[in-house]
Amino acid sequence: MKHSRLFAAGLVASLAMAGTASQAIADNDEITRGQLMAASCKACHNAAAAEKGVPDLSRVSAGVIQSQMRAFRDGERDATIMDRHAKGYTDEEIEAMSVYFARF
Amino acid sequence: MHNFTRRHFLKAFGITSAAALTGIGLTPHAAHSAGKAHVVVVGGGTGGATAARYLKQLSPSMAVTLIEPNATYVTCYGSNWVLGGFESIEAITHGYDNLRDRDGVDVIQDKVIGVDADSRTVRLESGDSQQYDKLVMSPGIDFKYDDMPGIEEADAETIPHAWKAGSQTELLRAQLQAMPNGGVYVMVAPPNPYRCPPGPYERVSMVAYYLKTHKPRSKVIVLDPKEGFAKQGLFEEGWAEHYGDMIEWRGGSNGGRVEEIDVSGKTAHADGGQERVRADVMNFVPAQRAGQIAHDAGLTNEQGWASVDQRTFKSVMDDNIYVIGDASVAGAMPKSGHAANNQGKIVAAAILRELSGQEPLDPSSASTCYGLITPDYGVSIAAVYQYQNGAQAAVEGSGGVSPLGQSSTFRRQEAEHTRAWYAGITQDIWG
Repeated sequence: MKHSRLFAAGLVASLAMAGTASQAIADNDEITRGQLMAASCKACHNAAAAEKGVPDLSRVSAGVIQSQMRAFRDGERDATIMDRHAKGYTDEEIEAMSVYFARF
Repeated sequence: MHNFTRRHFLKAFGITSAAALTGIGLTPHAAHSAGKAHVVVVGGGTGGATAARYLKQLSPSMAVTLIEPNATYVTCYGSNWVLGGFESIEAITHGYDNLRDRDGVDVIQDKVIGVDADSRTVRLESGDSQQYDKLVMSPGIDFKYDDMPGIEEADAETIPHAWKAGSQTELLRAQLQAMPNGGVYVMVAPPNPYRCPPGPYERVSMVAYYLKTHKPRSKVIVLDPKEGFAKQGLFEEGWAEHYGDMIEWRGGSNGGRVEEIDVSGKTAHADGGQERVRADVMNFVPAQRAGQIAHDAGLTNEQGWASVDQRTFKSVMDDNIYVIGDASVAGAMPKSGHAANNQGKIVAAAILRELSGQEPLDPSSASTCYGLITPDYGVSIAAVYQYQNGAQAAVEGSGGVSPLGQSSTFRRQEAEHTRAWYAGITQDIWG
């Protein structure tokens, strides 16, 4: 019993240090569905893709992401492919994902 | 990070007495101990490298080991562009330095030869072993040569599949370069399900592009056991526009079902022996199944693929093993690079949430399969997948293929997006 307590206390101390060493993408509490959706978008919308003309969404505000996703979905903005993607999301889902891009 | 929970603590450290935890005063910092588990990822392709990288990024203090037999990975996507003659094999080859040095993944170049689920151990070819709390298997595909009379795996040295990219891609490229003007390239296409549904038809397009440019009197014949294929209308529209009658596709009921391959004569026997199609360059893409190690580990079903809980990609056979990528059965998600990339993220989130004692998410992911008909003519199929009613399903009303009858500007934009997609997703996977 005592051994276990010591083990756990030491673990807490070492992990506290590890935690300050790196900036995790995840929340301090839990990974959310919105975060996972945003992670999916990131495959095509990151810095490497931006060099070839596709927007890096980590540089786009949550508000603009929301308005443009709705515009693609509702046919108010022309697209080659984003109209087909945007139709897969509700307003709530668009909002949920939009706040995570700035953290990538 | 993740809430430290009693359940996780018990799970990760094997402490059986809950009393051991009382009065310790777990602080929020203890959340990081969720990351003290050891996750082993088998296979450094699209699914495995994504899973390893995202696990480590989402939980930096977690120990993540990636085991991959090769020093580099050559993507199957993009390999058709090498055959087209306008992309190099180096440009589609990726190493593990960034995963190792920037992300802190322990990358081991070795081959997993066995999985002992009871002791949670993987055995390696070198004689070493690795113990895991959670195991992610991303073994890709292997081929079912037994399904085609007359040809065996060793014959891939003369009749390449080029369906695992690398030396096979270079071999097929060299054969096309050596083929005389006026020669015949024959693709024997695979039956469903197989890696990359539009892949054979992009390949045919790229071979035709190379031949039209360098050997315009040549012919491209596709012998296909299927009656139709992914993005068929788009491919046929593009073929007619750019290659005239150079490409001939024969479906299953139209002489496309190959029953035997005569390797030395490079001849495919089809249509009940009525049809003999002789090739100068033959490209046989065999029927497929999950990678061998998934079978050896007892994770596959009667069809040769790994059944999983499609919410988390946890194997239905074992509580601590997950299977992602082409090897898994993933509902509406195709066996594609983009699906494997998404599954790497889904499985990372699922493992971290489980280790933290949280309920699983209902994952949602977006996927695009681009393909080139010429270097300046791209087409796509898009989908948004959600976990619904026990399976990965396409969201109703979303996704679909590029529209027919579009302008050359539209096709050129999609070709540019194809290259942007490649640059983006490979950075997402290998850093």
